[in-house]
Amino acid sequence: MLSRTADHLYWMSRYMERAENITRFLEVANRMALSAGRDRASHWRPVLTIAGGEALFAECYGERSAVSVIEFSVLDPSNPSSIYSSLRSARENAHAVRSVIPAELWESLNSTWLEVKGLDGPRLRDQGLSSFCEWVRERSHVFRGTTYGIMLRDEPYQFLRLGTFLERADNSARLLGVRAAGVRAGNSEVDADDQLHWSAVLKSVGAFKAFRTIHGDNLTPMTAVDLLVMRDDLPRSLHACLDQVSIILGNLNPGAECARLAGAAHAQLHFGRLDHLLARGLSRFVGEFVTANNALGARIHEDFLME
Amino acid sequence: MAFDEMKSPDGGVRPPYRAYENWLLSVPPDLLPRKNEQADALFRRLGITFAVYGDKEGTERLIPFDPIPRIIAAKEWERLSEGCCQRVRALNAFLKDLYHGQEIIKAGVIPKTQVFGNGLYRPEMQGLDVARDVYIHISGIDVVRTGESEFYVLEDNLRSPSGVSYMLENRAMMMRLFPDLFTRHHVAAVESYPDQLLKNLRSVAPAACDGDPTVVLMTPGYYNSAYFEHAFLAEQMGIELVEGRDLFVRDRLVYMRTTHGPKRVDVIYRRIDDDFLDPDAFNPDSALGVRGLMEAYRAGGVTLANAIGTGVADDKATYTYVPDMVRFYLGEEPILNNVPTWRLDRKDDLKYVLEHLSELVVKEVQGAGGYGMLVGPTSSKTEIEEFRARILKTPDNYIAQPTLALSTVPTLVEKGIAPRHVDLRPYVLMGETATLVPGGLTRVALRQGSLVVNSSQGGGTKDTWVLEDDPC
Repeated sequence: MLSRTADHLYWMSRYMERAENITRFLEVANRMALSAGRDRASHWRPVLTIAGGEALFAECYGERSAVSVIEFSVLDPSNPSSIYSSLRSARENAHAVRSVIPAELWESLNSTWLEVKGLDGPRLRDQGLSSFCEWVRERSHVFRGTTYGIMLRDEPYQFLRLGTFLERADNSARLLGVRAAGVRAGNSEVDADDQLHWSAVLKSVGAFKAFRTIHGDNLTPMTAVDLLVMRDDLPRSLHACLDQVSIILGNLNPGAECARLAGAAHAQLHFGRLDHLLARGLSRFVGEFVTANNALGARIHEDFLME
Repeated sequence: MAFDEMKSPDGGVRPPYRAYENWLLSVPPDLLPRKNEQADALFRRLGITFAVYGDKEGTERLIPFDPIPRIIAAKEWERLSEGCCQRVRALNAFLKDLYHGQEIIKAGVIPKTQVFGNGLYRPEMQGLDVARDVYIHISGIDVVRTGESEFYVLEDNLRSPSGVSYMLENRAMMMRLFPDLFTRHHVAAVESYPDQLLKNLRSVAPAACDGDPTVVLMTPGYYNSAYFEHAFLAEQMGIELVEGRDLFVRDRLVYMRTTHGPKRVDVIYRRIDDDFLDPDAFNPDSALGVRGLMEAYRAGGVTLANAIGTGVADDKATYTYVPDMVRFYLGEEPILNNVPTWRLDRKDDLKYVLEHLSELVVKEVQGAGGYGMLVGPTSSKTEIEEFRARILKTPDNYIAQPTLALSTVPTLVEKGIAPRHVDLRPYVLMGETATLVPGGLTRVALRQGSLVVNSSQGGGTKDTWVLEDDPC
């Protein structure tokens, strides 16, 4: 396959996954802000820090409020990490490889983009944030279902899925980092806000029911983190993402350096223990994970001659 | 009065349209507008769009689609098809001759200046042998109709003509919208076009290719106005859609960069102009091309389709010599006529044309896409005077033709169904022989009275039906 094609497929699915995950960040903030007594605006800050747009936001909007953060993260074309920009980039990458992907996949991405392009602040408020976020996730499900359901399991498929899991690993890790201070092995202090926060995080990734099945009513930062980091049977956990990444790279080229890097990262979660991983705290762990994940992404580009 | 392809002057319906007319009378009047809206939504969702140069607002637009088919009788098609193939065989022979022995110039049929003074003549091609002597692998011959059996060739498009994807997509759309119509008519299938094209391209692999030939389609990229078509054809043929940056030349062979390292490329169906192919050989500023491509081509390491330098045979001044080429190379009489053409580098012609500007169509010799032309009868005095000044500056740059009464076909307009002018572009494929699928792109001028059918100038398209058997 053309290296450039691999690059477009990989980024197409990364951007689609990103759009979906931004809705998850927004849902956490929304739940927290609605439950908070005062200083509601502070709960919107993580949305900006996760996506790395805090400086740009300060420059363009100044004051932080629900309305301004939502506008910035959903509709602002100048914010490279907005849902608008992500869906536009997903569609542009798809456009460049439309002869490679199933026609249905292109049609779905194109119609998603056309719809979000026609959206503005008043219309978004009219629809409501939750219902908009549901719609974005539905479009992402259609994307995933179309690729999983009809694509030949050849190289294009592998690169496309690679993008999905690499982006998801990054986004899941960043979501864990929102309220990481104080979460470390051996610290069992839990306050009410912690419970509220972690249940919002679990709900935002659709994992609350899974949590109940596995941990019952024992909701602490550590049990939540255990589920979202260590469990390989939860599809959005870091472990599950790295399972997929290392399988895919093994299929593409088992001898490549990127396959080795992915294997090493995967082994850490597969054979490691949570209390060891969190010995120096969740913040540290998340920071290192995100850095390693970025390095893996860069190496993938190098190994497959992608631009 | 323009020739109406559906209605006879006596009020009757011409035979090819009889079954359609019966169907039309049997359906509710709002059916066509409703189907038209559906088609619009579908085309938009499929992203079948084209970009308009110089239009910053909407970089992507739909070409308006008209839901009423243009129907051509089997007998009419037979003649058209033979005529187009004959023309392309002659043009191909001309290019081979021109870039080798130049017999036609020695015989005095075409003046030397016409060839060597032409900016599209490529001296690099002189003496170079191309695979199977094929220069014009793909061409589009623009034909207009003015009467029951009067067809004229308006121009030959020998440099990557576009539009064939609309031929295929319009047919798919019509089958989706009106399945019952296809049970009432025997419409010849056009769907085999991509297969024929791929077969032809594989048949012209260069001498250096020792295995199964690898064919790619080269596009300038997704900002190009015809990108949709490039992607569509690559997908239909199951070949890679490459850009210049995906290719490189090593030891006079062409390779593409893949996730498994370099892979040899044997045949390039290039949808990119000569000038941009190779910054070393042509335009040094081209960021779209591939360094060393011309050298690989010269060494027989790769086949380019179409060949370099075909433009010299399709400019509007060379056009006037095509009937002579048919006689010279094939020893046959041309089946399809040229439109009578005045060449403004001739004094007498120039004088006549300047006196009759308001009746004539004047075109730039190397223009395309309906840009840079004057349609006398529909232009204002100021426009005519402005154009006169341009002609006087460089008369050799223009030709003039009578304003033809292009035939009309019923078309869906705001107030119902009305006749609109059309032309036809069938696509000729040349490999071992010249062939064409039964159909083509019918372009329709949607504005009442307009004769300009180009999509860049507000024209639309119709599905073109060639009937397999004629009603008695």
